[in-house]
Amino acid sequence: MTLTTERVDSVVEALRGVLRDDQILTSKTDRWNRARVPAPFPVHRWAERLPDLAVLPETTEDVAAVVRIANELLVPVVPRDGGTGLTDGAVPLRGGIVVDVKRMNAIHEIDVLNRTCTVGTGINMLKLNEELAKHGLIYPDDPASYPCSLVGGRIGTSGWSLIGARYGHTRDLVLSFDHVLPTGEVLHVGDGIGHKITKSSSGYQLKHLFMGHQGTLGIATRATLKLFPKPEAELSPFWAFDNYDDAYACAGDLARAGVATFAGAVLFDEAKVAYLRRDDEAYIPQPADVRALVCAVMYGYEDEVRPAGRRLLRIARSHGGRYLGDEISEGDWAARHDRYATPLHGRTKAGQVVPMSWHCEDAAINFTDLPAVSREWHEIVAALRRQSDVFDDWGMFAYTSSDNGTDWLTEIDVGIWEQQLDDHAWALWVQAKRDLAAVSLKYHGSISACHGSCREGEVDLVPQELGRGFDVMLDLKRTLDPRNIMNPGKYHLDRAYS
Amino acid sequence: MSYRYAEEHTPPEPQRASDVAITTFDHLYEVDPRLMQEWVTQQTFPNWDTLRIMHSRHDHLDWMHEHFAHKVIHGSELLPEDQVPHSPGEVST
Repeated sequence: MTLTTERVDSVVEALRGVLRDDQILTSKTDRWNRARVPAPFPVHRWAERLPDLAVLPETTEDVAAVVRIANELLVPVVPRDGGTGLTDGAVPLRGGIVVDVKRMNAIHEIDVLNRTCTVGTGINMLKLNEELAKHGLIYPDDPASYPCSLVGGRIGTSGWSLIGARYGHTRDLVLSFDHVLPTGEVLHVGDGIGHKITKSSSGYQLKHLFMGHQGTLGIATRATLKLFPKPEAELSPFWAFDNYDDAYACAGDLARAGVATFAGAVLFDEAKVAYLRRDDEAYIPQPADVRALVCAVMYGYEDEVRPAGRRLLRIARSHGGRYLGDEISEGDWAARHDRYATPLHGRTKAGQVVPMSWHCEDAAINFTDLPAVSREWHEIVAALRRQSDVFDDWGMFAYTSSDNGTDWLTEIDVGIWEQQLDDHAWALWVQAKRDLAAVSLKYHGSISACHGSCREGEVDLVPQELGRGFDVMLDLKRTLDPRNIMNPGKYHLDRAYS
Repeated sequence: MSYRYAEEHTPPEPQRASDVAITTFDHLYEVDPRLMQEWVTQQTFPNWDTLRIMHSRHDHLDWMHEHFAHKVIHGSELLPEDQVPHSPGEVST
């Protein structure tokens, strides 16, 4: 908490001029519940990340009014949508006002003929798709947090979608949006000024600037989204391999095959299979020669998906892939839409079960560098585990990002025993984050394909990744947020004001 | 669900499924109780609740399939008969 009680009172008094009392939250519960995200964090320092108050705006005008007041009173503003991000974008580092957009969840329009809908950014994709299904349509933005993340958070993160190889990622699916700038001004950004335009060459491409900024450049309030027919058919075969190299080669060939209905492939490395064999009921009974896995998923009309599926099955078989069966293939794929519902536990080195939270590293890595990055990342996490039972290596996935197999969201899952974190263990973790990011950059990858890269540790390498581009970020931040009130402390953007 | 309390609190005799897991009902696996002694201890569930949790998981997955597509094509439909696995833990040859 950064404000004195008197200052909080004066902020609340000013907010009462633009919001109702029930839109202004000051209780301990309201504030503590908006202080963190699911990514493991130093719970022993939770109190350092509290907002001073939270607000629940219902319109773009509400948001703009709150931001103008924050500017006037020099109070930090932290946008918060689902609070499901994994890089602390919604975590207040300097107290201030959390702007929780969940009440802005209306569907304003479904335009069946132009295949768009316009929604408040507080809406969740699952709830939106329940309505779109009545029209035979779907908004296919599909993160692991699908049932609980919100459209606005996806914009602030410029998120990655599990089925992005078929439908594109958030940046492709969000056509335009209303955006409240850090000064409280409102602008509409899209391709050109269009609300429903998928491609324009008019002027700078500002839409991308206002996506993925982790709340440091303002708050999206209403968005127009691109829609598709709800798929007639889904096919998600899983294959087993007795070694990583064959699985890796197979995953690459599947992604490069150029099948139009191909929506994604996932490669499970040997450490991931060992983890699943330990704790996942689907994999416990698998034979010992199941050491690596690959899955592919297709969506489309049935008469497209069936021949496409036969082609991918042939490719997998040519690499020695053995079909795992319908139950695992379909069950595991369905579970991938909802990873946040998975109860987690890890093991001490002695084998005892302990409660752990899930950290997920998410670099973007070219296909040819996946084996080397995997090897080096496992070494980093193994070194951590040797030092402390707080950390457990849960193995790696690689997910296709594109429809041609160029780059892969490369994920190492690390169990972290939050209750046992102390300053020493946290420092070990932050250094490991730096080391993991350094490996990504060493192989000319990006630190993050999905979450963003503003957590402690990894954020230190963002200037290195972006080079001169980081200076442009500082210039833009200073220009658009002259008083540094919008989510201060993130991405080392304080340097813009020094 | 059984009428008698004791029956609901008597799961099938556990069978060892792996070095670290046991199984009781079909397709239902649990961590070996020896590994849940120190930091997290196992809870006692009546059989009906154990099975409810397992079936709810399947209900959830079925719901998710229907949410994303009108129909699921089974991989086994596209494979030659001699390559179709017939039980959990069996993979195609």
